[in-house]
Amino acid sequence: MRLFPPFLDNDIFPLTIKNTLLQSCYLRNTEWACGVAVYTGNQTKLGMCRGIAEPKLTAVDAMVDKLTGAIFVFQIVVVIVLGIAGNVFKDKVGRKLWYVQYPKEGPWYELLVIPLRFELLCSIMIPISIKVSLDLAKSLYAKFIDWDVEMVDPETGIRSNAANQAISEDLGQVEYILTDKTGTLTENQMIFKRCCISGRFYGNESGDALTDAQLLNAVSTGSADVILFLKVMAICNTVIPVRSKSGTISYKALSQDEEALVCAAARLRMVLENKNGNILDINLNASPLRYEVLDTLEFTSDRKRMSVVVRECQSGELFILSKGADETILPLTYSGQQVRTFAEAVEQYAQMGLRTLCLAWRKLEEDEYQEWTSMFKEANSTLVDRERRVAEVCQRLERDFEILGVAAIEDRLQEGVPETIETLRKAGINFWMLTGDKMSTAIQIALSCNFVSPEPKGQLLIIDGKTEDEVCRSLERVLLTTRITESESKQDVAFVVDGWALEIALKHYRKPFTELAILSRTAICCRVTPSQKAQLVELLKLCDYRTLAIGDGGNDVRMIQQADIGVGISGREGLQAARAADYSIGKFRFLKRLILVHGRYSYNRTAFLSQYSFYKSLLICFIQIFFSFISGVSGTSLFNTVSLMAYNVFYTSVPVLFSVLDKDLSERTVMQHPQILFDCQSGRLLNPSTFAGWFGRSLFHAIVVFVITIHSYAFEKSEMEEVAMVVVSGCIWLQAFVVALETNSFTIFQHLAIWGNLVAFYAINWIVSSIPTSGMYTTMFRLCEQPSYWITMILIVATGMCPVLALKYLRYTYRPSRINILQQLERLGGPIQSSGIIEPKSRSSLDTDSVHEPLLSESPSATRRSVGPAQRSDSFRSQSPPDSTHTRKDN
Amino acid sequence: MIPDGSSQASNKISKKPTYSRFTQQDLPAWKPILTPALVIATLVCLAIIFIPIGLFSLSASKNVVEVVDRYDDACIPSPNQKVGYIKDPATNKTCIRSITIPKKMRKPIYVYYQLDNFYQNHRRYVKSRSDRQLWNPKAESRTTQCDPEGQTGDGKPIVPCGLVAWSLFNDTYMLSKNDAALPINKKDIAWRSDRIHKFGENIYPKNFQNGTLIGGGKLDESIPMNQQEDLMVWMRTAALPTFRKLYGKIETDLEANEKITVTIQNNYNTYSFHGKKKLVVSTATWIGGKNDFIGRMYMAVGGTSLVFAIIFSLLYVFKPRPLGNPSYLSWNKNNTI
Repeated sequence: MRLFPPFLDNDIFPLTIKNTLLQSCYLRNTEWACGVAVYTGNQTKLGMCRGIAEPKLTAVDAMVDKLTGAIFVFQIVVVIVLGIAGNVFKDKVGRKLWYVQYPKEGPWYELLVIPLRFELLCSIMIPISIKVSLDLAKSLYAKFIDWDVEMVDPETGIRSNAANQAISEDLGQVEYILTDKTGTLTENQMIFKRCCISGRFYGNESGDALTDAQLLNAVSTGSADVILFLKVMAICNTVIPVRSKSGTISYKALSQDEEALVCAAARLRMVLENKNGNILDINLNASPLRYEVLDTLEFTSDRKRMSVVVRECQSGELFILSKGADETILPLTYSGQQVRTFAEAVEQYAQMGLRTLCLAWRKLEEDEYQEWTSMFKEANSTLVDRERRVAEVCQRLERDFEILGVAAIEDRLQEGVPETIETLRKAGINFWMLTGDKMSTAIQIALSCNFVSPEPKGQLLIIDGKTEDEVCRSLERVLLTTRITESESKQDVAFVVDGWALEIALKHYRKPFTELAILSRTAICCRVTPSQKAQLVELLKLCDYRTLAIGDGGNDVRMIQQADIGVGISGREGLQAARAADYSIGKFRFLKRLILVHGRYSYNRTAFLSQYSFYKSLLICFIQIFFSFISGVSGTSLFNTVSLMAYNVFYTSVPVLFSVLDKDLSERTVMQHPQILFDCQSGRLLNPSTFAGWFGRSLFHAIVVFVITIHSYAFEKSEMEEVAMVVVSGCIWLQAFVVALETNSFTIFQHLAIWGNLVAFYAINWIVSSIPTSGMYTTMFRLCEQPSYWITMILIVATGMCPVLALKYLRYTYRPSRINILQQLERLGGPIQSSGIIEPKSRSSLDTDSVHEPLLSESPSATRRSVGPAQRSDSFRSQSPPDSTHTRKDN
Repeated sequence: MIPDGSSQASNKISKKPTYSRFTQQDLPAWKPILTPALVIATLVCLAIIFIPIGLFSLSASKNVVEVVDRYDDACIPSPNQKVGYIKDPATNKTCIRSITIPKKMRKPIYVYYQLDNFYQNHRRYVKSRSDRQLWNPKAESRTTQCDPEGQTGDGKPIVPCGLVAWSLFNDTYMLSKNDAALPINKKDIAWRSDRIHKFGENIYPKNFQNGTLIGGGKLDESIPMNQQEDLMVWMRTAALPTFRKLYGKIETDLEANEKITVTIQNNYNTYSFHGKKKLVVSTATWIGGKNDFIGRMYMAVGGTSLVFAIIFSLLYVFKPRPLGNPSYLSWNKNNTI
């Protein structure tokens, strides 16, 4: 690399591994740097690891595709039947119609002409406009997410963003949430909270050791134990202090724990001021201290501790200062020290979900150190098995420690995490926590954020083992317990598995593990790798569950991409996850709003929009089919091309597009009754049976429009253009009222769209009617002058809507859906009692208990799937006894 | 002392979304719900409006005096040779019918011919016309759509071309009352827009009905198209296989029990496809000709909604179901056991 002035004097630098920065590295302590990007792109290890993001298809889209397929089959059947009927009519009757002048005998392919004509006529049966309408609606859903001020992180101002515009409906159908822990549930911001120094607990009363008067007092009086404890906190680390121009010191640390300790020490007047090579400057109570760091015994995940050897510059004394996990430090004490209080402290802190570090020290003799340091250097320069050798050598020095105390660091849960998880669990969503952390921390966090209920209600089943047999036995046992508890008791069962056991389970015992995954509402997977996270997502997806993966770091990217919906938290670990995700949010608690408000509304709106699109296309198509029966089954189109085009593209698409503003329930109600999400999850608003309702409605409306028109426009009024326009206007009127009836909340836009569309319909047709060359010249004016036209319109609307209204009312009052009940409650405005948790596996039986009414859109779904042997139908069993802790009142 | 968050944050704050009730999906909205009162009131209103309209339409329809005389079979001397008779140009096709006026008919009285089982909406038929040719002299040769009646055998364009014009209805009616002719006014029977815009004044029928296959009526080649009103009426194709077309108007009143003698030239062949021909003499009101359907439907819809309203009210009284009872929420049911 050649550098040009003003940087360096035309000097040549070799590019080697020494001056290579790997991806995701931070370059610190420099004003500027110049560099070349090398080894970038998709062939790099990171690029290869990222996996390919598959295009995502929502469950709603899949259902719409299925329905489209069904309609296509129906269309083919109609075409074949009408084609045969047409040919028969042609031979039996058509040839006698001299005015039609059928040629005597045509070639064989003449037989195909009539079916093909019907194919053309029926091609409108599949609405093309649905794609456009849905795309428009979806992009608006995404915009609503972007715009939502309630999902803006108040601390950082980061707003939510929907990168993938196409999958908002899926948010409303999520069944499993797989979440990362650190940075997702927690803030990934370590704060020193409590400590126990030589048997004394600080911070227990106030909850914060930094404000504990006793500790402050001990610092100012110079209690030796406390000072030593603080020294270890300040020295035993790899933190680099950075002094800004204004004189304040900030710390750059690789580990958040170390940063927390150093910051806490600084607050306790043990300020790490400067690090210059090996020389450390510390300021204790405004008196400077200088240390020389001789060796750093680095942290590895095996050793789980780190130590530094320092020389106090003034006295020349040597120390080894060490910190680490309790299980690695406590056994290393000198014989005779009582470690029980510390062990208890560790236990106590862990119960609170705090991360603990034990701090220890020992004085070193000069010759001991000299002897050791040569061994250390040698070990460090071995080529074979260096890590183990170094660890061995380190162990020689790390012995006979005097334990100074235990520091407890809190990785604070993000605000609102427990509430969010509780609400979403109430909504029937199952939570899995996938973390790279160790089991005990994971379990603690899981307990503190409502993942599992505390004992005795909650029960944690641990799958462990190092060998296949052990894992197998463990898995069998857990599965058995889960089956039993699942079938009879009210317990909340969660299983815990670590990465190693998971690896074995996924490889060799996939079937039982899958069954367990389906049975258990909660799982905690610790020590899992990014690819295992993705595998778990895959596993759940294979069981046909809608999964949502949420994470914040680069190690969550695979999982996020694999899941049906990936949500990234734009957090401290960078934006990798947020970039790879379909949705990025600032805080975990926004997930609640994302799913319950945006997801639910999107699903409901799309369900209506898509079925309505089919309804209106079928309506016009049925009329064409009926008309063919009175036009000699010859495939005449009743409508002119202008009307036909405008009908699909304009008249019927615009009003329904504004249903994207429709809200069946207020956001508040949904938040209070998250169980209502269940209707979305099980696809109650869009399934073959609701579709059958819409199909029936369009058939009924087609009959109404057609029969009324041909009777009131019979005989001398049966002019083709006029009849066609009467039919079209009948359809437009009907559809306006259908949209109005199906709209739950009318904003000004809905009124404008629905009624404005009617006005626009007449305006457009008057314009077309005033063009002399158009086929329907003056038709619309003539019609509008006739009282019988308006009377026919009113008749069509009343006949078409009355039964629909009556049925809807009966259902609404006597067999209300949950949404209806909540709507009614909302209207009454009284306090709403809600309790219990919906059992997500009770799906099949919940559905059978409702009725099927074909003319209404909101009929319950058919059984969605059958998984595993445990889906029994006795699901209305009491979820919890009336006096249980889960019965609560929400107002 | 938090290293990176704050600097990132300051960059992002500027992107904070602006608040508006639209973007927050918080527009003021009217949320009607189907309360019993609302639904029952709607149904009752519907009944109150619909039944009078129904009665009104029915009475209008009843006031229409209509005489229908089917003459296709009656005007054939030998029932076995209908088609042969009608196709033979040499036979005398004059047919005398007599109709009695049941009630006083006020002018204008419309004379229609009605064809049953005639598919003017057949695809082959509907398409076979050239609208441009009818008003634009330069488009005379635009006859591609008109097959098989586009051109004569030697390639000359037919004006007006196509099956629709070719099959022009050509029965004629002469009415007389007490041996005095009752004139039928055949002016202004077509749509005004047809006379002015759709049929040109400089266009005369050409090569029409000259081929080997004779369809319906012939046209006077000396009369421009915009005066060929029978053709205009005929070319407004009907959407239904049973239709009436205006033949003319009688501009005098007819008294009850008057006998009208109709002299029919029975030229048009509906026999090959078992079509019926009827002569209709009718008055008209604001809903048009005689049509009980609208009135009956209105009565039926109004009556049904009244019945519905009563049933719903009874249900409401005897089987009340309070709206929004939280105990109906299925997740609350669990706890009521």
